[in-house]
Amino acid sequence: MANVKGNIRSFIVETFVLSDDTVLLDDDSFLEQGVIDSTGVLELVDWLEENFHIKVEDEEIVPENLDSVNNLSSFISKKIN
Amino acid sequence: MLQCVFDYLIQSSQRFPGQPAIIHEGKTMSYQDVYNSSLALAGWLHSLNLESGFRCALLTDDPFEYVISYFATLMAGGIVVGLNTQTTGKSLYYVLQDCAVSVLFVQRKFHRDVNEINPAIPCVKYLVSESEWRARVDIQTAPVWVDIGRILDSLNAKSSPKLPTVTSGDIAQIIYTSGSTGKPKGVMLSHKNLIANTTSIVEYLALSEKDRVMVVLPFFYSYGNSVLLTHISVGATLVINQNFLYPNVILDQMVQYEITGFPGVPSIFALLLHRSSIYNYSFPCLRYLTLAGAPMSSKLGKRLLEAFPGVNIFVMYGQTEASARLSYLEPVDFDRKMGSIGKSIPGVTLKLVNKQGRQVGCEEIGEIVAYGDNVMVGYWKDVEETKKVLQDNGLRTGDLAKMDEEGYIYIVSRKNDMIKSGSHRIAPKEIEEILCEHEAVHESAVLGVEDDILGETIKACIVLKKDRNCTDKEIIRHCRINLPAFKVPRQVVFLDELPKTASGKIIKSELTGYWQ
Repeated sequence: MANVKGNIRSFIVETFVLSDDTVLLDDDSFLEQGVIDSTGVLELVDWLEENFHIKVEDEEIVPENLDSVNNLSSFISKKIN
Repeated sequence: MLQCVFDYLIQSSQRFPGQPAIIHEGKTMSYQDVYNSSLALAGWLHSLNLESGFRCALLTDDPFEYVISYFATLMAGGIVVGLNTQTTGKSLYYVLQDCAVSVLFVQRKFHRDVNEINPAIPCVKYLVSESEWRARVDIQTAPVWVDIGRILDSLNAKSSPKLPTVTSGDIAQIIYTSGSTGKPKGVMLSHKNLIANTTSIVEYLALSEKDRVMVVLPFFYSYGNSVLLTHISVGATLVINQNFLYPNVILDQMVQYEITGFPGVPSIFALLLHRSSIYNYSFPCLRYLTLAGAPMSSKLGKRLLEAFPGVNIFVMYGQTEASARLSYLEPVDFDRKMGSIGKSIPGVTLKLVNKQGRQVGCEEIGEIVAYGDNVMVGYWKDVEETKKVLQDNGLRTGDLAKMDEEGYIYIVSRKNDMIKSGSHRIAPKEIEEILCEHEAVHESAVLGVEDDILGETIKACIVLKKDRNCTDKEIIRHCRINLPAFKVPRQVVFLDELPKTASGKIIKSELTGYWQ
């Protein structure tokens, strides 16, 4: 799971180019931190589907699944299993 | 007859004092609360003895703070400059300097952006924020930091402060909009402009205090601004969630708060239709949708009719230069006249004219020229650009259109090459300049390409310097560092050369064919 979190973090940092002084904890909300915008969420969904070979249903596009490193990690784990 | 925009708040607080004005993240402020706080803040602003028409910029996505600061500034005789929260230090610096902002309201989450440029803004005398502000600036050159909570606490109990007289011709707002030169232009709107626009929209949408509007549009854009004013003017309730990241959250709130109206741009509706569970919901209270800000495809229009049966759908067209609105299509014509922007709103005259300024005939293409009290005063400190668009017969919109035999207008194209992506109007030149700052880029051309969700996305065509290599990821990263997210190209294509005319002008129309 640590590896999944690492992957998520790399994707977020690389895709949304966080500044050097941005501290993003595993529980930090992407929304509250201003990390991504609405089209960013779609990029995130595309990345999840492509990298983890999962299908993200429309009703699954909610903060509880996608809005932090921890939420994403749990969601991926649930989908894969 | 109302004179000033803040009279809307005064009137609604007198008629409906206990009515919720703003609901956001579970918190509610009544009309009386909003008025009291705005008045207190206005009193403080007036006590600063700034010049009449001082500029007060708002950098916040907290709607309570935005709305209170907005009305307070107007009551104190100032001019509101709502700032795009998706900004960079460079853009922020440009706007603050351009209109010489003297008071800046800034939310904590944007402190970092201001800190980046703070020592270089001598015009800003007061920075108003929460108490936790920590500025990385030289204290000798820094403006005065003020805690907004302390101002409200200390002034709430006081009796009505003395405020200056404001007249309908005074400038109320400067809204910055992308200019084709790449530099934003400040559109000056008077109280009279905004009142004319508000009156007209309230009439055709038949808004009342019974309405509860779902606000996802940011207030710093003219569309969001008109949603704010129209609903405050009638004493309606604004349910605000301007982070449109999770469409299902918005749908839940629409049900929870029994929303009656939903204004959006086509990309918002496209997201709802493509990536939400909208067909599992029903909205028995929903009375109307409004669509503006970008062209809507007929495919999207038909899907909207299916998803929102029985709801009035208003297509609207306008420009920031017209305080927002110029035309609308009646819901009854939505299907029959799909693709049309309708006819002029009450109080506005629209004509289609040729290059000589003469009105064109039915089905002939001409530029839309608008006349009405909602047309702006001009561009801030830019006489030349103002002269180009404000002429004897009205506002030259730059949009080319034709009119059918029943008088319905259809946009055909735009005279300039501005990109419309989501709710944003983007100047390719600004992105091209940033691209050319990359050490490997020789020249570039940026254009909009069709997109199902956003209407258009940004495509960058790049010619690299001789013997230099670079990947599309590197280019996108460079843009992400230097541009707000909505201006970052989604597609990057490398070419050996750009197609050009004999005089050396890039032929952008030929570039769409290069994409594979």
